[in-house]
Amino acid sequence: MQAAQAGNTHAYAQLLEEITPRLRYLVRAQRKFLRTEDVEDLVQDILLSLHAVRATYDPRRPFMPWLMAIARNRLADGARRYARRAAHEVPVEALPVTFSDEGTNRDDGGYRDAEALKRAIRGLPAGQRDAIEMLKLREMSLKEAAAASGTSVGALKVAVHRAMATLRKTLIREP
Amino acid sequence: MTMETERLAARLAEVAAPVRPLPRPWLRTAAWLLVAVPYVALVVLVVSPRADLIEKLSDWRYMVEQVAALATGITAATAAFATVIPGYDRKFLFLPVLPLAIWLGSLAQGCIQALIELGLAGLSLRPDWACFPWIIVVSAVLAITMGVMLRRGAPLTPRATTALGGLAAAGLGDFGLRLFHPQDASLMVLVWQVGTVFTLTAMAAWAGHYLLNWRSMIGIARRTVVVP
Repeated sequence: MQAAQAGNTHAYAQLLEEITPRLRYLVRAQRKFLRTEDVEDLVQDILLSLHAVRATYDPRRPFMPWLMAIARNRLADGARRYARRAAHEVPVEALPVTFSDEGTNRDDGGYRDAEALKRAIRGLPAGQRDAIEMLKLREMSLKEAAAASGTSVGALKVAVHRAMATLRKTLIREP
Repeated sequence: MTMETERLAARLAEVAAPVRPLPRPWLRTAAWLLVAVPYVALVVLVVSPRADLIEKLSDWRYMVEQVAALATGITAATAAFATVIPGYDRKFLFLPVLPLAIWLGSLAQGCIQALIELGLAGLSLRPDWACFPWIIVVSAVLAITMGVMLRRGAPLTPRATTALGGLAAAGLGDFGLRLFHPQDASLMVLVWQVGTVFTLTAMAAWAGHYLLNWRSMIGIARRTVVVP
């Protein structure tokens, strides 16, 4: 560290390389519940702190107590940050994308009358029906559908667009 | 953080400029006093010393209180400088306790003696708001110098550090004040002068996190490692 203070970048690099695994071990031992990326965040925090206050190292004193004092202080800071964040968070497993009220979920299931939809699809011209079956019901990609039907991607797009327009008209008229 | 830890370590080494190790706390205290003492002397000379200063030098109570105030300031400064050195013994935090206890004890003893000799009349308390601005005037430069010096250290205990720094500046400020402000009644000194010292110490403690924090120090370090 004394050499690093004097500007010896090689010695400093070697020192940081040697202490990084030790710091990682310390953080893991002290904060067993943290994920790997959080452990790395804390290790990086300690390295940046050490770098910022490297002038405070007294070459006449041992290095490890100096380093550990910084590490413990940063770990305590990290714990305080974690506690503050946790105090303002409500843990949920899956965030709802909408309200559960029925009024907000009128259109969530698509067509309610599956039989009418089947009838409407059967009534489509052959090319449009095939396009709907492949792209919407079997969820094939445009390329796959084009290869399977022997038509072009452009023709499939047009067929699906027309089929959707016909279905919309038919289903709105039906009820 | 997105940078890989090993790459960060290598980058820190690349950008590390030479640094001068901080001197030991007592040496830094001596450096601070080199600024503080001439400034306090200047203020006392500008305001003009109290007329009975020579007489007061033979008043043991005055001398005990002045020496205790000065010692409180010096030990608090040493303790403040020790708290910004990682790995330093935390016992340093209690360094100013003894001189502070002597200072307060002497004032308390003065109050009791006044009560015995003069009865309740000996404990009369008059408003003396001038103490507050005068102590601020005397300790302002001391506090600023202290703040600048403390910011070169590690913000391990920001509130305790700035509280000690504030106590150091205000303690010396009160020492200077009593060289030109003729107020010696123990209760008056205790309430107005020591009260001001403690108020300033509390204000310094409150400002601790604003003056000393890792966020700003790490921010600077982080900016230096970012490749432009």
